[in-house]
Amino acid sequence: MEIVDTLEALLFVTDSPVTLAQMAVPLELTEGQVEQALEVLHERLNARGSLQLVQIAGGYQLCTKPDFADAIAAFLKPQRQKLSRSLMEVLAIIAYKQPITQAEVDQIRGVQSDYGVRSLLERRLIQEAGRKQTAGRPFLYTTTQQFLHQFNLNDLSMLPPLSTGLPVLQVEEGGLAS
Amino acid sequence: MALRTDVTALARRQHARKPHKVEEAVTALGVVAPPPIQVESPYFTGSLGTLFTCVRERKVDLLTVPLLPICEAYFLYLLEATLKDLDNAGAALAALSYLLERKAWSLLPVAEPVAELELPTELIAPTNHEYETAITSLNIWQDERERMFFRPPDCGPDPYELPFEIGNVTINDLARAFEKLLTKATVEGVKPLNRPRRSISEQMKVVLKALSQDFKSLDQLITLPFSREEAVYWFLSLLELIRLGQVNVRLTEAADVEFAKAA
Repeated sequence: MEIVDTLEALLFVTDSPVTLAQMAVPLELTEGQVEQALEVLHERLNARGSLQLVQIAGGYQLCTKPDFADAIAAFLKPQRQKLSRSLMEVLAIIAYKQPITQAEVDQIRGVQSDYGVRSLLERRLIQEAGRKQTAGRPFLYTTTQQFLHQFNLNDLSMLPPLSTGLPVLQVEEGGLAS
Repeated sequence: MALRTDVTALARRQHARKPHKVEEAVTALGVVAPPPIQVESPYFTGSLGTLFTCVRERKVDLLTVPLLPICEAYFLYLLEATLKDLDNAGAALAALSYLLERKAWSLLPVAEPVAELELPTELIAPTNHEYETAITSLNIWQDERERMFFRPPDCGPDPYELPFEIGNVTINDLARAFEKLLTKATVEGVKPLNRPRRSISEQMKVVLKALSQDFKSLDQLITLPFSREEAVYWFLSLLELIRLGQVNVRLTEAADVEFAKAA
């Protein structure tokens, strides 16, 4: 129980996800022991209190439970950072095809994506990750840890598989008759 | 010059009835024209020069005009020609060569166009429809994530940074004091970029020497004349000393900022 409490204290003071290795070293434990202790902590936090333990962006972090979201939002008044449809499209393409150039994103979307790429860079959801060794040596883009964190993902393998079929034509009721 | 040969007979043997008639070899513009060899066939009647022009402009189908009688007429013309007719002979040879080559090419069999293979239908472009599921999932996760609050990164002051006290003095007061100081500075000339640079730490020592326990305004601290560069160095040094807790600052009743060495 002492290890669990120590881990809780350690997670309480961190402002970013902590990996098993990062926790294991100062506590002189194996990663397996830390993982077991975190499972106990997870259960304990779920059973009571306002905090929960989540696995996010490749590590573990404490956060508030969704039940308290309204009260916290009213207190903190956070700036809403919801992404537009076009930004989400650019982000999804980069997430699946990374590393990818902007020209390749344009090709997939059929429209220019310079605003989207620039905006995602400013939001630190994507990053430049070297240059492609082709004519013009364009920048390659990948997603960041911030992307994983903002979308509550632990790693990229959590992304759903891509649809393979053709798009379904959305016809409104009576649309064909009119 | 009149040309009377057996072309009539040769031509008649093919298609034409009238072999030739006399024409001027040099046109009115002085351009050398082919000799007056008259061609007559069911599909074309005219001089060799006219035939050449019409073929080149694709007005006559060369396949319908026999070239053998024309070539024979040309040979006969050569036999009867004099040295003075070399230009005409050359023009006729060029025209005939062109016609023969064109006819030879047109007699070659033409390969039938190969029917294009139907390529398998590709996905419509753009292919961003593949990402619909992903975008929907990301939207859902984003909504879920918005209901979870984490400790914000880099929140709070640096634990290793000492808090500094500037009392009732605001940043705007300091900015006004700096602005006032700059108005009294002299404008110095442009200096080369690679000149030796002073460091703020050196200037901080100068400022500390000038300061005492008694509060003084910037006017009292810095003696005239001073340049704008010196004013900037002075002010930055004072700010750094305030941050380090070595200088105290206060606001007078006249809204003037004063500085003193910390005890």
